[in-house]
Amino acid sequence: MLGQKRLLLIWSGIQFALLVLLQQAFAGWVSAIFLLLILYRLFSVLQAKRPVSLLLVNIVAGIIAVGFFLQLKQAGVLHFMLQILLLAATARLLALQHLYEARQLVWVHYFLLASCFILHQDMVVAVFILLVVLANLYSHFRLFSPASARLNGVQLSRAMLIILPLWLAMFLLFPRLPPFWQIPNTNVASTGLSDNLDPGSIEKLVQDDSLAFRVEFDTGLPARQLLYWRARLYEDFDGRSWQVNSWRKDASRNRYSSRINNNNSAVQRYRIIAEASQQSGLFALATPVGSSQNVFIAASGMLSSLKPVSQRLSYQVSSVLDPIARLSEQEQLMNLRLAPGNPATEQFAHSLKQQYPQPAALVQALAEHFSQQPFFYSLTPPRLGANSVDGFLFDSRTGFCSHYASASALILRYAGIPARVVGGYQGGVWHPQQGYLAVRQREAHAWVEYLDNGVWQHFDPTAAVAPERILNNLDSILPDDERALLYAGWRQLEMLQTLRLQLMHLDYYWSVWVLGFNDTSQQELWRNIKQHLPTIGYVLLLLLIVGLLGGVIFTVRSRKPSHDHLASQLLYKQLADVLSNKPSAQPISSYLRHVAKTHPAHYEWLNQVITLYEQAVYQNNNVALQQLKNVLQRQHTELRDLRRAIKNT
Amino acid sequence: MLTQLHLVEQNLNQVILGKSSQVRLALCCLLAEGHLLLEDLPGMGKTTLAHALANSLGLSYRRVQFTSDLLPGDLVGMNIYDTRSQQFHFQPGPVFSQVLLADEINRASPKTQSALLEAMEEKQVSIDGETRALPKPFFVIATQNPLFHAGTSALPESQLDRFMFRLSLGFPDKQAEHLLLQRDSSTSRLELLTEQLSAEQLKTLQAQVPEVTASDHLLDYLLSLVHASRHRSDMLPLSPRASKAILRAAKAFALINQRDFVSAEDVQQVFPYVAEHRLDPASAAQESRLSQLLLQQTPCRI
Repeated sequence: MLGQKRLLLIWSGIQFALLVLLQQAFAGWVSAIFLLLILYRLFSVLQAKRPVSLLLVNIVAGIIAVGFFLQLKQAGVLHFMLQILLLAATARLLALQHLYEARQLVWVHYFLLASCFILHQDMVVAVFILLVVLANLYSHFRLFSPASARLNGVQLSRAMLIILPLWLAMFLLFPRLPPFWQIPNTNVASTGLSDNLDPGSIEKLVQDDSLAFRVEFDTGLPARQLLYWRARLYEDFDGRSWQVNSWRKDASRNRYSSRINNNNSAVQRYRIIAEASQQSGLFALATPVGSSQNVFIAASGMLSSLKPVSQRLSYQVSSVLDPIARLSEQEQLMNLRLAPGNPATEQFAHSLKQQYPQPAALVQALAEHFSQQPFFYSLTPPRLGANSVDGFLFDSRTGFCSHYASASALILRYAGIPARVVGGYQGGVWHPQQGYLAVRQREAHAWVEYLDNGVWQHFDPTAAVAPERILNNLDSILPDDERALLYAGWRQLEMLQTLRLQLMHLDYYWSVWVLGFNDTSQQELWRNIKQHLPTIGYVLLLLLIVGLLGGVIFTVRSRKPSHDHLASQLLYKQLADVLSNKPSAQPISSYLRHVAKTHPAHYEWLNQVITLYEQAVYQNNNVALQQLKNVLQRQHTELRDLRRAIKNT
Repeated sequence: MLTQLHLVEQNLNQVILGKSSQVRLALCCLLAEGHLLLEDLPGMGKTTLAHALANSLGLSYRRVQFTSDLLPGDLVGMNIYDTRSQQFHFQPGPVFSQVLLADEINRASPKTQSALLEAMEEKQVSIDGETRALPKPFFVIATQNPLFHAGTSALPESQLDRFMFRLSLGFPDKQAEHLLLQRDSSTSRLELLTEQLSAEQLKTLQAQVPEVTASDHLLDYLLSLVHASRHRSDMLPLSPRASKAILRAAKAFALINQRDFVSAEDVQQVFPYVAEHRLDPASAAQESRLSQLLLQQTPCRI
């Protein structure tokens, strides 16, 4: 059995797949050790070498295990356990000699494959894991089947069909328990907006086509110019770049119940499925007023998750499309702070302030300034000097949203109006058929909020320069050469593009229907079932009736007209329990003679039956057939006794 | 007449000790107008059986010892020129008898074998263009040594097919052999056998065999057995002649068992002896592997 090269190759392959899947849990040198072990096994299989001696394997595995133990602190218990398990599997494969060892190995593989889902919930990876599980299942089958046995496709699909309802029921009804262990943070770089906004950071994001989050709206899709997804507040300015204030970072850890200023505004309810970003900052429209349990609303309408988002996260938010209320005096002061430099800007701000004392009028004038003066929107702005805002406003006049937002916020601060830069995403791609809005990193955007009448008013200077950017998307306002920059290389291939899109939709359904199926959805399912209980009952009844009818039709159809003699039919019916033990090749009379011999109490009437039966069946004697019927009727009680006697033996 | 047949059977059992089932099958073969092939080691009582059968049925009996130099003429006879009458006159060979014991048939040359087998099938012989009928009943009991013995030439399948039954007597059990040694005079006992059934009576009995009822369902079962052999690669298919032989044998068996209908058990009883040498000509007579296989794998619904 174990000489089977193919099985050893399959197992080596499975272990290699496991190594790739569990890569995140392993430090580099750990992976290297596993790779060496697996490669050695592969090599020895292909060279048809004998398995390594158990003693040697034990020693090597022991040393490696000690090494793993030494880095337990850095790896965390969970990763350590995974390492030890995989080590056990690879070492076992090296010294595999007996059948029972192979059976253990197969089970360890199942366990390891299941634990891959701790690290991956991606649809594509899930499909891959399924394939590896199938490979393991095949090796399992081979372990128990005789060498000549072949996989029977029909049987296999029938087995799958039978197990399908159970599988669905397990998925739908199995309680969704909270994780038993803390998943350690992986050392994967965070994605999305960072805590630092310098003029170039958004330009880089815009070239990233990957998904940031998806939104389903319970209350219709709002107008496009309202789709400002707030993610970060940049309030510290150092003369060149904007940072998130450290107080703000602390405040984002605390819940904050926001007051709703007026109740007239419509409430937008929507559900966001955020991609893993390794950051806790999340996205919401305007002023969020309520959210699901797994996220909370922090100060200034910022939404945050309980821990950094390391897996796709789905949450529910309801927002009022009203400006954010002022938090405190301190916040107001914080957003007036200035940094040295940019004298020309300061001068420009002062002149504006003299002309327009009211903040709203000043902002209006600023927007007009951007739209009337030759300002350009570009992905490739020229490099700016030391006073970056001066250089931008009065020299290059070419920039990206972060340039405009940064300059506007600074002008407003110089004019004595508290202002800050907001980082987030604007717009998104609406997929009407699937009913969701896909917001990619490309939709990253920066705009300004200024304090007026105790609320933080929204001001997007980019809208003044390039209103199409807001109303359509980024592509529409860029010149052709810059658009090419967005769609580098293969992304231009249309077919691949649609394929990618389809995959994204599929992935969406996966995350909504499979990953997003939590205890809340389960309860909802039960509620729904309860609600529609009568309907479900009718449907089940209908199905039952249809099934029964189908079954009846099937049995009637498949029942061939019996070729048996009438006498044989009679005996098969009346003596069914007796004849059920008859070897199929034995004639009825010969078997009954045997029964008569073994049950002497019934010898007489059985003999009578045999004689009459033989006359009926071998001579077509109808009188004998009638007599046989009579005898069987008369011997009713005897027959019951005989049946009982046969059952007891 | 059946009682007389049973007397014959009893007589035979007096001579061939402890072989009642083989004796019954041999009689059955005789009733079914088939020829019998006995395959056994020398000294197992083949000749005795043949002799006893002839004696107790009051049939004329000839024995031919087959050797490699036996010629067809030696068997069927020849026209001899009579110098006195200056005419050819026919000198009949041993084949002109009612029971012919062809001893060690597989020692003869194929040419002689086929001459005998032709006579068996046609129940007549042609010599120099003149056809002469053989006496009735004509019953050939051929014996042969197991094939591995030196100086034997195997009967080809087509000729094996002419024998309705192939039997093997086998060793007697200890008790029977003890009795045999005690008497130590089997030949004299053979002579003691008196005619219990005349040739005429035998003919009447033989004529009764086709009258035994075989119902449609029984024929279906028999055919399912035969057809089962035709879709397999590990055996030769059974020919229609074979199925006829099986039915005839089963009918004769039913008759001996005093029934006027054939039962599935009759078919199962005779099947191995009628079918095995047709399924596998190279098999030894003691074994019935292929026929048992067919019996076990063919469902019997009656």
